[in-house]
Amino acid sequence: MQLLELLSVIDEPQSASPGGIPRASSRRRALAYLILFVCTIATFTTPTLTVAQDKLIRTSAEIYESAFQSHCGKCHGIDGVEEGDVNLIELDGDQLGGDVEMLSSLIKVLDLGEMPPEGEPDLEPGERQRLVVELKKILKFEVQKTSTYEQAPIRRMNRFQYNNAVIDLLDLKCIVFTLPERMMREHKQYFKPASGKMPNVVTVGNRPLGKSQMIERRLAGVAAFPQDLRAEHGFDNRGDHLSMSPLLMESFLKLGQSITQSPDFVQRNVGVWQTFFEPPQDRGQWKASVRARLNPFLTRAFRAPVASDVLERYTKFADAQFDQGVEFTNVMKALTAAVVSSPRFFYLFDKASQKETSSVVDEFELASRMSFFLWGSIPDQTLLDLARKGELSSPEILAGQYERMIKDKKIKRFCDSFPSQWLQLERIISSIPNEDLFAQFYFSKYRDSMHMLLEPLLLFETVLIENLPITQLIDSDFTYRSNRLQNSYSEFGEDPLKGKKAGGAVGVLTFNRIPVTDRRTGGVITNAAVMTMTSGPDRTQPITRGAWVAGVIFNNPPEPPPADVPPLAEKPVGEESQLTLRERLGLHREQSNCKGCHEQIDPLGFALENYNPIGAWREEYANGREIDTAGVLFRKHRFNDVVEFKDAILEEKDRFARGFAEHLMSFALARETGVADQFALDQIVEATAKDDYKIQTLIKHVIMSEPFQNKTTPK
Amino acid sequence: MTNRRNFLRGIGGAFLSLPWLESIAVAQRSIQSTPFRMAHFYVPIGVVRRGFFPGEAGHVIPKGNLGDVMKSLGKQNPKLSVSQLGQLTPTMQPLEEIKHKLNLITGMDRTFQQGTDVHAQCASCYLSSARPYTIEGTAWPLDRTLDHLVADHLGSKTPFSTLEFSCNSHRDNKESIYFDNISWFGTGHLAPSIRDPRKMYQRLFSTQENDRYRDITDLVLEDANSIKRELGHADRQKFAEYFDSIRSIERQMNRLEAMRSELAKVKFEEPSEAYLPRGDYIRLMGDLMVVALQSGLTNVATFMVGPERWDTPYQFDGLFDKPRSHHQMSHNQTKMIDDLLKVDHFHMEQYAYLLRKMDQIEEANGTTLLDNTIFTYGSGLGDGSTHQYNDLPIIMAGGGSLLKTGQHLNMPDGTPLANLWLTQANLLGVGLKSFADSNGTITQLIS
Repeated sequence: MQLLELLSVIDEPQSASPGGIPRASSRRRALAYLILFVCTIATFTTPTLTVAQDKLIRTSAEIYESAFQSHCGKCHGIDGVEEGDVNLIELDGDQLGGDVEMLSSLIKVLDLGEMPPEGEPDLEPGERQRLVVELKKILKFEVQKTSTYEQAPIRRMNRFQYNNAVIDLLDLKCIVFTLPERMMREHKQYFKPASGKMPNVVTVGNRPLGKSQMIERRLAGVAAFPQDLRAEHGFDNRGDHLSMSPLLMESFLKLGQSITQSPDFVQRNVGVWQTFFEPPQDRGQWKASVRARLNPFLTRAFRAPVASDVLERYTKFADAQFDQGVEFTNVMKALTAAVVSSPRFFYLFDKASQKETSSVVDEFELASRMSFFLWGSIPDQTLLDLARKGELSSPEILAGQYERMIKDKKIKRFCDSFPSQWLQLERIISSIPNEDLFAQFYFSKYRDSMHMLLEPLLLFETVLIENLPITQLIDSDFTYRSNRLQNSYSEFGEDPLKGKKAGGAVGVLTFNRIPVTDRRTGGVITNAAVMTMTSGPDRTQPITRGAWVAGVIFNNPPEPPPADVPPLAEKPVGEESQLTLRERLGLHREQSNCKGCHEQIDPLGFALENYNPIGAWREEYANGREIDTAGVLFRKHRFNDVVEFKDAILEEKDRFARGFAEHLMSFALARETGVADQFALDQIVEATAKDDYKIQTLIKHVIMSEPFQNKTTPK
Repeated sequence: MTNRRNFLRGIGGAFLSLPWLESIAVAQRSIQSTPFRMAHFYVPIGVVRRGFFPGEAGHVIPKGNLGDVMKSLGKQNPKLSVSQLGQLTPTMQPLEEIKHKLNLITGMDRTFQQGTDVHAQCASCYLSSARPYTIEGTAWPLDRTLDHLVADHLGSKTPFSTLEFSCNSHRDNKESIYFDNISWFGTGHLAPSIRDPRKMYQRLFSTQENDRYRDITDLVLEDANSIKRELGHADRQKFAEYFDSIRSIERQMNRLEAMRSELAKVKFEEPSEAYLPRGDYIRLMGDLMVVALQSGLTNVATFMVGPERWDTPYQFDGLFDKPRSHHQMSHNQTKMIDDLLKVDHFHMEQYAYLLRKMDQIEEANGTTLLDNTIFTYGSGLGDGSTHQYNDLPIIMAGGGSLLKTGQHLNMPDGTPLANLWLTQANLLGVGLKSFADSNGTITQLIS
């Protein structure tokens, strides 16, 4: 839990200040309140509000102080015991509000029922609820006071965005380079978002795992720079991860050259050929036409109106080339190479603002945020035109643009990046079940994972295109499977597709939409891909699965285990071989100080123990012992099997919606979500719940939210 | 446009190293002891075993595509043996006059990692087969390749740390990058090969190419400078990464510029756009590689004599009347074995041509360029029909006083090819304990 390190932050000033002298943090608080007071007067807000807020804090204090005393103090404060460096007894009101990160984790552990731990005097549900509500009030007050959202730093495009942006800028009819991270390859154009319907039969390929699926129409001779890896518990577009190096810089400079010099860079493949690269009839018009053509081109490439000195510079560059006798088309190619090598093209940033706190993004920044979120690329002309007119930010127009964008084919790029990273599906690429135990996983020199990987991705695309409730992601009543995949699920009593052989295709794969009648399958959790990638070669790894569920479904990933805990042996020896995996892990856990965390994640993983290391159903372990999947979710919802586990998650669908919204916001803003985002996230979940949890509503409210439309870029 | 040097001095205040400092270093090259170099000659789609391997002339001819066999049909010597390289097999005939400067090495294996195409993996993972399933997040057992590891050591002063050649004259994009490239900075990070001799020539000698590069950096630097003024405080700090990176690219360009007068002495005509018969094309690419190694443009090069698989037929001028597909022939050995042997022989002739050429270039102390280069012939497949990853055809030439030569070395069953790569890296002074899936070195090669 993060609490541990967060609370050590608040502990620091205490230990540093000897008794008698006011604590540093209190002084800071006092100063903050003073500033707040001055600001309030300055902005002519009624000062009585502050008094009311202050009163609120005092009332809350009465509620939480006694609760902390009787339920938390034993480990956190009384007699100097400070487990995890947390002391909740010696807090005063100011201090609690003083560290919003700490306060936020405190709310989280109480809300999720993680604290107090089992065996300690529990909080009555009503009392717990009241405590959460009161602490949230303090948090909201503190957060609104500073009104500062976190900001993703300036960052270069990742190669997925770069590929898309070059395609869009030049209207290319082929891709720039093949990217295995775009895992699912579309064959035969099944993807039609405007129709609002996925076809019943789709033809797809698996780029990283399928045969010859990386062979695509592309620009020959253009080499991609290395793949940008997914941030831990995050996405590959994270601002703090995308930095520059000399090697990469060379790649960017070379890319510009190699793209325009590619033998495939010809009229047939370049949509803007006629309007940009083709010379005007009249030679005398060459120089003048370059200027006219450059203006819209640079605006598009740099996503903002072009300053006159920038335009001047590029025009001069062209003139110099003309003077050297370079032909028109080659001059335009050299210009293009320069434009896509410019940091104005491949860096993403918001302009500095005069304010220390957050301010609203400008129209063009909003256009870029929209398009990089939904299309992984630069805005199109429509967005830029609206931005120039200053109309994009009006809520009706923004909503209208959102509707347009989500129905555009370019939304495929969202499907190519968000779901696979959210579900961490790249993990299955490295999955290698023991061939002696799971021979059926291997066929024709390939692995079943090639088929498995596509099932959750097709489910996600369908939920998105058909605007279904996000609860379908947990417990879907349909799924897409190939024949081979369907057969691997046959132990669920589902008939293999009638009249068809077990298809072992390795390249282009056909997937059929089929109803899910057995709730043990369906959804993103209990599919073969996730069950396989969260297992080891020989056995399942319930803790890994539990951590996956906590992180992916509830956006509450556990801290990594301490380094000094020995791993469990792959094959049990001696008496241990007679135990179930849960018993073995129980034994193992007692030896170390890990109970708190594992109480939270273990039930989530053990709920899935009926799925073997390749996702097939089993009732007992190899040693004949029956599998025990019973557990309690959030110490509230008891379940005995996986169907009841899904029911429990659905009982907590607001928590799932919340976690999902956090993942989306993190992806949209290229940063981790922070405390300040919490209230916007609450609103997003509320609005989504009102509209039957429809996915497009959720995404829309992310865009409509304050964090999405604000930046924090002090000079 | 602003004077570039002043301009660069202006941004961030750092001072760029002036070209003359570098040119001293370059001029000293001829005085210093000659550096060692490394080159690799890759042959696609394996060889006809009967024609290449001593003692296999009578082995059974594989019938059709035996893609799932993945091992030799005939028996090989499973034990270590070292013998004098005597009578050469038919495929190796072109090497006769230079066989005293090379070793035939048989019995080297790679481990196939299930999950990617055999042809794509055999080429892309040839110079670094990682221990299977150790590279997270990719289906390829691919790691930083040998040429780059060696270049980290040998290539830090040359304008190009490595050069990648591929004699792939196909105009289509039928195959993915994994078929056309054996050189990788690391998993998923390709060091792209150049197929067009004109492009390679321009890269090596054309100042125009370099100037265009410079024009662009001038332009984008001004963009960067104007961005800086628009950024908030925190972003300004991070954006320094941009200027730091540009500066180190500048240094690289200066290095090339410093060699300009040196390079002006090199007599090499710019390749024309006219069609070249296949043999001429390969030799032109080879000449470019030799001149680059000779002149100090690079110390490390890789050379694919053709791409893996690529079914599109092409003209083997002088061998066949009509365009042929090497790959399709390899799946029809029973019918086309004679034609295939011609292709293998043809590839060997090109290798022999380069060996002779390098051996004619004199360097310090009576040595030749070949003596100062470790130049290895090899394929990622032991046979184009069985698609075997074991018993690969390998010839290691050059190395001068570093190596014992004129031997046929048969390695024990299961010796990883990486053992040879590890040996080469350490001969060239890299000093590695292990490399990829290696489990030892080949001491019999070292003199």
